[in-house]
Amino acid sequence: MRSKKTMKAKTSRHLEALLFVAPWITGFLLFMAFPLGFSLYMSFHKVTVLPTGLKYDFQGFKYYSELLFGSSALYDNLIPFFQEIVIMVPIILVFSLFIAIMLNQDFPGRMLFRVVFFLPIIFTSGHILTEFVNQGEGTLGFLERFSIGEYLDQFLSDSSWAKPVKDVLNRFVLVLWYSGVQILIFLAGRQTISKSSYESARIDGATPWEVFWKITLPAMSPFILLNLIYTVVDMFTFPYNPVIELINTGNYGYNSALAWIYFVVIVLFLAILLLLFLRMNRSARSR
Amino acid sequence: MSLFRRIRSSLSHTWSLYRSDFRNMDATQIFLLILLTLLSVFMLLPLVFIFNHAFKPLHELFLFPPTFFVKQGTWQNFIDLLNASQDTFLPVTRFILNSVIVTVLATVGMVILGALCAYPLSKHPFPGRKVIFGVILLSIMIAVETMGIPRYIVVKNLGIMNTYWGHVLPILALPVGVFLLKQFMDQVPNELMEAAKLDGASEWQIFMRIMIPIVTPAMATITILSFQTAWGNSETSALFMQNDAMKTLPFYVESLTSNLANSVARQGVAAAASLIMFIPNLIIFLLSQRKVIQTMAHSGIK
Repeated sequence: MRSKKTMKAKTSRHLEALLFVAPWITGFLLFMAFPLGFSLYMSFHKVTVLPTGLKYDFQGFKYYSELLFGSSALYDNLIPFFQEIVIMVPIILVFSLFIAIMLNQDFPGRMLFRVVFFLPIIFTSGHILTEFVNQGEGTLGFLERFSIGEYLDQFLSDSSWAKPVKDVLNRFVLVLWYSGVQILIFLAGRQTISKSSYESARIDGATPWEVFWKITLPAMSPFILLNLIYTVVDMFTFPYNPVIELINTGNYGYNSALAWIYFVVIVLFLAILLLLFLRMNRSARSR
Repeated sequence: MSLFRRIRSSLSHTWSLYRSDFRNMDATQIFLLILLTLLSVFMLLPLVFIFNHAFKPLHELFLFPPTFFVKQGTWQNFIDLLNASQDTFLPVTRFILNSVIVTVLATVGMVILGALCAYPLSKHPFPGRKVIFGVILLSIMIAVETMGIPRYIVVKNLGIMNTYWGHVLPILALPVGVFLLKQFMDQVPNELMEAAKLDGASEWQIFMRIMIPIVTPAMATITILSFQTAWGNSETSALFMQNDAMKTLPFYVESLTSNLANSVARQGVAAAASLIMFIPNLIIFLLSQRKVIQTMAHSGIK
C-alpha cells in the first residue's frame, strides 16, 4: 500500500519533469531531429528539385565512397583545419584560465576589465570577425617584424606543422576573441571554490604556486572539461570554417553525406579528447 | 550651471576614492593592471574598427595597408544604404520591424524553453534523461547547413510559411543553451533544493525562486547568444518566406552585399549595414553584462 503511494509520487514527479522538458523537446524533434534523420536519408539519394516537388534516386553509398576515396577535397580541407584546432584549443583554454584567475584578483577597475574580456562574445558570431580577418587586421604582423616566420620555417621545415603553427601565432588576437565565453565559465567556476580552503592552505604555509596546482586546478576540472567541449564544438561549427563552406557547395545528397562524415569526425575527435581528459584526471587524483 | 558643478564634484569624489586605491596598490596589482590594459586594447580593436569602417568614404575603404581610424568621416554610406532599399519598393523600416518582432519572440522563447529543459535534465533522475542529454550534445555538433530541405518540409506541413512563426519556431530549440545551462545547474548543491522541498515548495517554485536566480549569469549569457542567433538569422527568410514583406533585416543586408560582392561601390553600404547589424548586439551586451558580471561575484554557493 505504502510502496504504491511512493510509486505514484515518483511517477508524478517524473511527469512533472517531462512537462518541463516537453516544449523544448517538441521543437527539437520537429526542427532538429527529424531534419537530421532526413538528411541521413538524403545522403543515400540523388536529390533533384522538380517543379512538382523533390525527386529522390537511390544511390547507396556512392557519395560516401566518392568523398572518402574518390577525391582529396575532404582531406585537403580537413587536415589543416585539424592541425589548427589541435594547437588553438589548448592555447585558448590556458589563456582563458589565466585571464579568469587574473580577473579574480582584487584590483581597482576589475569589473570594467571583466566586461571588456567578455566583449568578444558579440564578435565571434560570424560576419564581423570574418570581415576583420579579411581586412588583414586579425594578424599582429609581429611574425614579419621579428622574422619569427623564417626561424619557424627552419625549425619545422620538414613537417606539415610549420604553416599551422605560424597561422596560430599570427592570429594571436583571434585567440583573444575566441575566449569570451570561456573566460566567463572559468570565472564562474573559480567562484565555486570556497574561501576557507584557500585560507587553510595559507595557514599551512602553501605558496601561491602550490595553491594553484593543488586547489584551484583540481576544483576547476569540471569547468575545464566544459570549456574544452565548448571550444572544440565552437570551432568545428563556426560557419566560416573550410569544411562547412565545402558543405554549401554541390548537390543535396552529396552535401548531406559530407555533413554526416564531418559529424562522425567531430564526435570521434571529442570522444578521444574526453577519454584523455578523464584518464588524466584520474591519474591526477590518485597521485 | 549647478548641474555642471554637481557632475564635477561627483567626478572628483570618485577620483579621490580611486586615488587612494591606486596609491595602495602593490607591485602585483600594478603589473596586473598594466597587462590587462594592454590585452584589453586588443579586445576593443574590432569595436573601434567597425565604427570607423562604416564612416569611411570610398577612397579610404580601399587604402592599402588598411587604416584603422577614419580620416574624413561621412554619412554617405548610410544614405546609400537607405537609397538602395528604395529599389525593392519596400522601405528598409519594414525589414527592421520584422527583425525586431522575430528577434524578441525568438530570444524570449529560446531562453525560457532552454531553462525549462535544462532544469529536469540536471536535477531530476527521470528515466531517459541521459539519452536526451546525449542527443542534445551530439546535435550541437551537426552542421545546420544541411537541414534546409527537411526543415522546409516541416515548415510547409505546419502551414507556417510566410508567418512570423516560420521565423521563430525553427530556431527555438537551441542546443548550446540547454547544454550550458545544464552544466551550470549541475553545480548547484542538491541540499538547497531538498531544503526548499521540505518547506513545501513546488517544482515550479523551486525552479523560479532558487534555480533561476542562482544561474542568472548563465541565463544572461544564453540571452546574449540567443539574441545573436535570432538577430543574425537570415536562413529562415531565404527558405520559408516567399513574401518579400516578411523577410528580415539580415537577409536584406546579405542580398544587398552578396549579389554585388565584387562591386566597389557597395563596399561602403556593406560597412554601414554591418554596423547597423552590430549595434543591437552591442546594446544587448551592455544591458546584460551587469547581470553576468555582478551576480558572478555572489554565485559562490558552496
